[in-house]
Amino acid sequence: MTAEPAVLRNAAPEMSMGTSPVPPPHGPAEQFAAGRRAAAAALAAAGSIERTVPRARDGRPLFPRGFTGSISHTDRLAVAVVAPGAEAVGVDIEPATITSRTAAFILRERERRLLLAPAGPYTARDLFAAKEAAFKAMNCLGTLGEFLFWQIRLSRSGGALTAAYGGESVPVWIRPEADHSFAVAIRR
Amino acid sequence: MSDTAVEVRRRIRELLVDVFGGPSFVSTVHDAVSLREAGVPSTALVALLVAMEDAFGFEWADDVRPEVLRSIDSLAGHVVALRG
Repeated sequence: MTAEPAVLRNAAPEMSMGTSPVPPPHGPAEQFAAGRRAAAAALAAAGSIERTVPRARDGRPLFPRGFTGSISHTDRLAVAVVAPGAEAVGVDIEPATITSRTAAFILRERERRLLLAPAGPYTARDLFAAKEAAFKAMNCLGTLGEFLFWQIRLSRSGGALTAAYGGESVPVWIRPEADHSFAVAIRR
Repeated sequence: MSDTAVEVRRRIRELLVDVFGGPSFVSTVHDAVSLREAGVPSTALVALLVAMEDAFGFEWADDVRPEVLRSIDSLAGHVVALRG
């Protein structure tokens, strides 16, 4: 369990965050364990007595009742977010470089024109992470059937970013950093 | 299994190796298993889909169903079906 990096604080309101480095050899087992350590840290910060997060049959993490959460990891860092009482939470940490071709694939023309730098305030990596975080949160709702994360539409109003799909929507917060983009979606 | 399907699967594996920068991981992924459950991250999956557009000369539809993208088998089946 490690302290939350200052750069990730206050990414979204009313949430608790935990992080944990992924130790060598940085493989799937180490990433999974780091994710659970990060989740335990986030649950502790949120005031949960229960701090274990088993894995559901479909692979999703099962957070304690009342402490809705989400986990994401790279091969070096795991991060977890808990938002007590939230209907759904999604978090994503994205370290990869997103090529212009990939950006064109995952972003609609309107998203590229209004959100993507230089016209908009976000990098392609930020928006990739935003769609992934929103996908995790919206997938938790269980009402949208199967869909793909890039089929979510992003829009911005008054400085706030919203993700929408199938008549449902969720606000998304983005925290860009030099070596990764962090995004969290919380629906209350 | 037709020669075409075998060839498409082989080419998809080559593209996946390119996406991952080496064959060590891809060799452990069976044709029928979920790429996501096998550990293929979203960025790599999208890179694979983009590479498939170039390699096979088609564009993915905006409303493609998730099950089409599930595995090497399902991806190859989509390409073979497009070729009629």
